[in-house]
Amino acid sequence: MPELILKPGTLKELWLLPPAPGGSRKYLAGGTDLVSGSNAGMDASQVWVDISDIKELKGIRETKNSLIIGSGVKISELSGSGLISRWLPALRSAIPHFASPSLRNMATIGGNAATASPCADGVCALCAERADVWLELGGKKRKIALQNFFSGPKKTVLRRDELITAFEVPKWKHAGVYLKLGPRAYFGIAKASVAVALELDGEKVRSASITLASVSPVPLMAVKTANYLKGRVLNYDNARTAAALVKTEVSPITDARSEAAYRREMSGVLLERALNSVILTGRMSQVAG
Amino acid sequence: MTEKNKKITHRAKFSLKCFVNGEKVERDLDSSRSLIEFIRLDLGLKGTKEGCGEGECGACLVLVDGKAVNSCLMMAIQLQGKRLITIEGLKGRDGGLHPLQKTFMEEGAVQCGFCTPGLIIASEALLRENPDATVEDIKRGLTGNLCRCTGYEKVVSAVRKAQKLS
Ligand SMILES: Cc1cc2nc3c(=O)[nH]c(=O)nc-3n(C[C@H](O)[C@H](O)[C@H](O)COP(=O)(O)OP(=O)(O)OC[C@H]3O[C@@H](n4cnc5c(N)ncnc54)[C@H](O)[C@@H]3O)c2cc1C
Ligand code: FES
Ligand code: FES
Repeated sequence: MPELILKPGTLKELWLLPPAPGGSRKYLAGGTDLVSGSNAGMDASQVWVDISDIKELKGIRETKNSLIIGSGVKISELSGSGLISRWLPALRSAIPHFASPSLRNMATIGGNAATASPCADGVCALCAERADVWLELGGKKRKIALQNFFSGPKKTVLRRDELITAFEVPKWKHAGVYLKLGPRAYFGIAKASVAVALELDGEKVRSASITLASVSPVPLMAVKTANYLKGRVLNYDNARTAAALVKTEVSPITDARSEAAYRREMSGVLLERALNSVILTGRMSQVAG
Repeated sequence: MTEKNKKITHRAKFSLKCFVNGEKVERDLDSSRSLIEFIRLDLGLKGTKEGCGEGECGACLVLVDGKAVNSCLMMAIQLQGKRLITIEGLKGRDGGLHPLQKTFMEEGAVQCGFCTPGLIIASEALLRENPDATVEDIKRGLTGNLCRCTGYEKVVSAVRKAQKLS
């Protein structure tokens, strides 16, 4: 545990805080990663900054072309949001796969990104939704594509003390789905997951984004596979070819949770299942553009 | 460093104001006090259990502003201005046992009892959100709670029975 937790009431107060001794500040959002890591003896920082009650980091709102999701939004708030249901089908379908109901009441979407775990469900889905992430340091803001935010397992492009303030996700007409293979049906860390977002024009795929988790050091954008689908009819044959292709794009490892060869194989199986489910239901469920 | 920054930096203690089981509570605490330490050690409410300290077992569940959370992963400073309900605070309409507490006993959903407070809190949160939960909903709603004794069947029947009582 740290020696001290500071609790600024607003972002303005946060930027007035002095630098933490011996490294970057640790921000306490939902605490599901930070406190569990600290309880397990894996966090040596002396000072945490509690951002869990900062209003500017909360809420989901809509602009003409996008949704803005505050970094402090809890996973359970995403599931209750009409805007998310309406516009972000891949993210919506990832929520039941995320941890347990009580952890969903605590975990934030900003913490999910900052932790930069290769198996994170929320950000894998957000990458397929083509999200950008807003960062702020000392009042200075910058925006980058979420897929470029991760630089390795548990590594991000965040600068010292930089804060994730929000995600900006475009409103676009698409169908989406998220599938996760874990050790049991619910509440387990993934062996492999896939998020698919498809813009359809009748039978044809106008554009596709496919992101996989747990099969590469960072959330993997399967660009080759997405390009293959672009312009093609969405049918079972093409889904099978896409599944074969995605197996050449992943770079899984063997660890305590699964084996590399199995993960590679299951990446294809999950993608094929995801595409088939869009064939069956997706055209009807494509969100309004 | 400005005077204001100095003040923020050195405030190792903080004054927690919150409601615990319906009563207003004010305490000066170390800023690094965890919620489960506050509950068990400072308030002496021993119904809330610590099993794993890592979010895996659900023995530590409490309600904060009506939502189930794992008190082993929350810090007391995050309770500022909020309403905490622990297993001791769950009551029936007549002030006696809560329907879930009754049905857990009647159905034999308790063996060693270590997981029981957490399971009852998770069930209460689930039924508040979805009073008509199906067996499948109940199983999903309790995925964050481990029980090494009962095999869960009796837990699910206790929740089903409580649905009919309330
Ligand atoms: C038992 C268990 C099961 C889990 N299951 C899943 C799962 O199924 N799927 C999944 O994706 N994840 C899972 N997780 C991981 C975790 O719940 C998520 O990564 C969660 O979204 C983290 O968010 P938080 O708000 O709790 O972050 P915190 O623990 O508060 O913070 C995590 C890290 O991010 C930093 N941080 C937090 N917010 C910001 C911000 N706004 N700007 C900059 N840095 C920030 C913190 O300093 C810290 O280093 C699980 C965790 C546990 C303990
Ligand atoms: S003690 Fe909190 S989840 Fe196990
Ligand atoms: S009754 Fe013993 S762990 Fe559940």
